[in-house]
Amino acid sequence: MRRLIQILAFVLAGPAVAQVQGVELEEPVLMPAFAFSNELEENFTQDDLKDAWTLIMFGFLTCPDVCPFTLGNLEAAVAETGMRVRPDNVPQVVFISVDPERDAPWVSEYAKFFHPDFESFTGERAQINTLIEATDSFYRLMEPDADGYYEVQHTSSVSVIAPDGTLRAKLQPPFDPGLTAEFLARLQIAYRKEMTQ
Amino acid sequence: MKSLFAAALLSPTVAFADGLTVDTPMVPLAPANAVAHAAFMSLTNPTEDAQQIVGVSAEGYMMAHIHMSDIKNDIATMSAVDMIEVAAGQTITLQHGGLHIMLMRPMEAKAEGDIVAITLEFADGSTQAIDAEVMRMTHGM
Repeated sequence: MRRLIQILAFVLAGPAVAQVQGVELEEPVLMPAFAFSNELEENFTQDDLKDAWTLIMFGFLTCPDVCPFTLGNLEAAVAETGMRVRPDNVPQVVFISVDPERDAPWVSEYAKFFHPDFESFTGERAQINTLIEATDSFYRLMEPDADGYYEVQHTSSVSVIAPDGTLRAKLQPPFDPGLTAEFLARLQIAYRKEMTQ
Repeated sequence: MKSLFAAALLSPTVAFADGLTVDTPMVPLAPANAVAHAAFMSLTNPTEDAQQIVGVSAEGYMMAHIHMSDIKNDIATMSAVDMIEVAAGQTITLQHGGLHIMLMRPMEAKAEGDIVAITLEFADGSTQAIDAEVMRMTHGM
């Protein structure tokens, strides 16, 4: 499975020279049922995907570089998107921790640091795996060292879910705010055209 | 001249505690309960000898490591780095997506403007102190 993802990622990344900030899927993929929560007892399920654009990022809180940088850039990208689309089309941003063992006690606070509307959740391993597979994403918990500390490898791209609950695209690093906003605005125009046909 | 310089290098009266020139050391402000912070900076070696950083420590943190982030084929990875060698005249930049000092388990929350005292440890046993300021990262500027 991982090899397949890597090959796919390679194919996707192939033409993705500097300017490309996202890749649109040829066929939309309907998201399965899933359930995540946080320590505030807030929930995130497939029902929350309805009638809104959603950006889902996978990561872990013991991540000093890639995760905060991505969320920081998404904050800027979403602000840019807000200048290009109607307010109800501004995407909601959801961070899913793939490391519930360490992150569950305070996962809710993480995404909020980057924007008060950003939400973060974690959940049962089976739920994480369900959403990881459905979005063709990847993660791996590495072997713990002598102190019990372990690294987590994870997909760096961000999944874009349309208001009909289907995965439509992947945003890719470096998540340039202007180019990402442009990509999302175009994706939304194409989506609306498709819906009215 | 060269041998004179070499002699000076070997002289015990010459201190090399500040062997590297450090530019813009900073710790990005992190979410309140983040258990890992990063420190970024650029390090220039103005001397004529390579310098090897073999360890790092930081006041107010349980542990500090040199780490390397990487994104390959859409997978973000992180790995510990045993040694950074800064060649004579070379500048190595610790920045997002590459090398960074990983600061583990802060003993208290950090606020913008706080100073993190970091110590670099070199292969020859010398050390160098660096004050890194906690700053809010700006994105999309």
